Amino acid sequence: MASISLKKLNKTFGALKVVHDIDLDIADKEFIILVGPSGCGKSTTLRMIAGLEEISGGELRIGEDVMNDVPSKDRDIAMVFQNYALYPHMTVYKNMAFGLELRKAPRDLIDTKVQEAAKILDITHLLNRKPKALSGGQRQRVALGRAMVRNPEVFLLDEPLSNLDAKLRGTMRSEISKLHKRLDATFIYVTHDQVEAMTMADRIVVMKDGHIQQVDTPQNLYDRPINMFVAGFIGAPQMNMLPVTLRRDGDRFTALFDGTPLPLPADIDTGRLRPYEGKDIILGIRPENFHEFAPADIDAGNVSPFAAAVELAEPMGSEVHLNLVSGGRNLVARVSPRFRAKIGDPVELVADLTNAQLFDPVTERSILY
Amino acid sequence: MQWLEGLWTKEGAGIDKNARPLTGLALFLDILKREWWEMVKLNLLFLIASLPVVTMPAAMFAMARICVSFADDKNTYLLRDFLEALPKFALRGTALVVFSALLVSAGTYATVSYAGAARLQLAYSLPFAISLAVTLFLILLSANCSVVLARQDLPLSETLRQAALLALTKPLPMLAALGFVAALWLAHILFYPVSVFMPATINFSLGMFALCFVARNAAAKTRARMPEPAGSGA
Repeated sequence: MASISLKKLNKTFGALKVVHDIDLDIADKEFIILVGPSGCGKSTTLRMIAGLEEISGGELRIGEDVMNDVPSKDRDIAMVFQNYALYPHMTVYKNMAFGLELRKAPRDLIDTKVQEAAKILDITHLLNRKPKALSGGQRQRVALGRAMVRNPEVFLLDEPLSNLDAKLRGTMRSEISKLHKRLDATFIYVTHDQVEAMTMADRIVVMKDGHIQQVDTPQNLYDRPINMFVAGFIGAPQMNMLPVTLRRDGDRFTALFDGTPLPLPADIDTGRLRPYEGKDIILGIRPENFHEFAPADIDAGNVSPFAAAVELAEPMGSEVHLNLVSGGRNLVARVSPRFRAKIGDPVELVADLTNAQLFDPVTERSILY
Repeated sequence: MQWLEGLWTKEGAGIDKNARPLTGLALFLDILKREWWEMVKLNLLFLIASLPVVTMPAAMFAMARICVSFADDKNTYLLRDFLEALPKFALRGTALVVFSALLVSAGTYATVSYAGAARLQLAYSLPFAISLAVTLFLILLSANCSVVLARQDLPLSETLRQAALLALTKPLPMLAALGFVAALWLAHILFYPVSVFMPATINFSLGMFALCFVARNAAAKTRARMPEPAGSGA
């Protein structure tokens, strides 16, 4: 049983508080990812769980046991570091066996575990090589293998793919996900790469300035961000934030952007919108919710195209990212590669507001959450 | 000091799993390149363990056991494996070395004697040829026996059978390896005093590795059944 519970956990370095009383419950065998910009406290939180940083306040439980003062080696965890931290003078085999040797495990057991882990990670052919001969991806596998042989209840991974190239990162992402399913252990993974977070996690913890912003499944974070930070952090390109004025037309609400009325969906929670009637709010629209205006949109009703100018078109192969300017605001739209637009071209766009988000401009919190 | 750390932890080119495996001399050189420092340490271990003289055969077999792991490209814990092997071969190894030395000495003596006699009387050419062939076979048998014994824990009869099979079916690689060993010592003598440290650093271990390497390849080719040594550490 390797559920993990953080209660009011905090960390201070002198007068500087870097983790602020965070509460988090991680279920047994869950794959949870801590994500956030540099300096948000995610690695410090992980290191506190690992026992590599002293806990300044609060409580850490692994299973039923309070672990605040338990030494790292007795926490039944294994950690994989960003720089792999392999011993350069040891072969891969010895690197993987080292932890078990320190624990005075029987030699046959060490050999069995090393061979098993090597087989799973497909590094059997590397066992007698030293790290200097290995590529980044191979080193990463060895680092994972070293964690695996100890058969820990909890794996802690601190930006393990950051040093790899984009292609290898993609491969290793899926391999780590498969590994999690195979090992049936709790994984806590730290990254600043939201693609890693979205593709691998059961749940994502978004952190900023030492505070947890939101904990939810990747899809929920994407669809229902709790505030503007989460909305902007999750999703690439990031969500467009338009300053609009909320207007009520009968029983429906409309967001007025630069004079263009953008009707909000009929099924929106109007009770939450009433306090903002006539006020300025922030309308969040994902780039993929823009499309080029077509006459069929008029027939569909309740849409109003708005004018924008193309500043930059970034062809991505399967899609084009258009950097636009409208009403003095920069927008990004994700459109079909068939969409032909040159820099400076005026375009008419329609926004699908079914999944639009509305934020309070003062608190930056979602009005609809 | 960061440049030193960078040099030490620099990322390598990677090892392609699907690359064609190296064989023969290329594999020998590849292992030598990777394990040369281990071989230097092994050489020193052998010398230290041989200091009481009577322990020399056991030390030689312990060294052979490590070299077998090098040849098999398997992981070794140098000191641990060496010290474990040392008592294991104390009796058998010593007996085999003494017995082999006696036989080879007798063969050499006979060969030299018949060679001298053949110069005087042609009738001794046949005994000379026979004694030469037998002595060569005994040398090959001893060398193969050392490797087979170091590689696996087999009864003496099976060890002899496998060694004889290798000596008969694949004599040339082992002869070449023995030539390499001789060349190492010749180089030490010829380039003295530049080569003064050769015996202390590499001659014994590299020579033994050469023997183990060719014996392994010969065994693989003759499909001789050679199971893994127990407790080789891999």
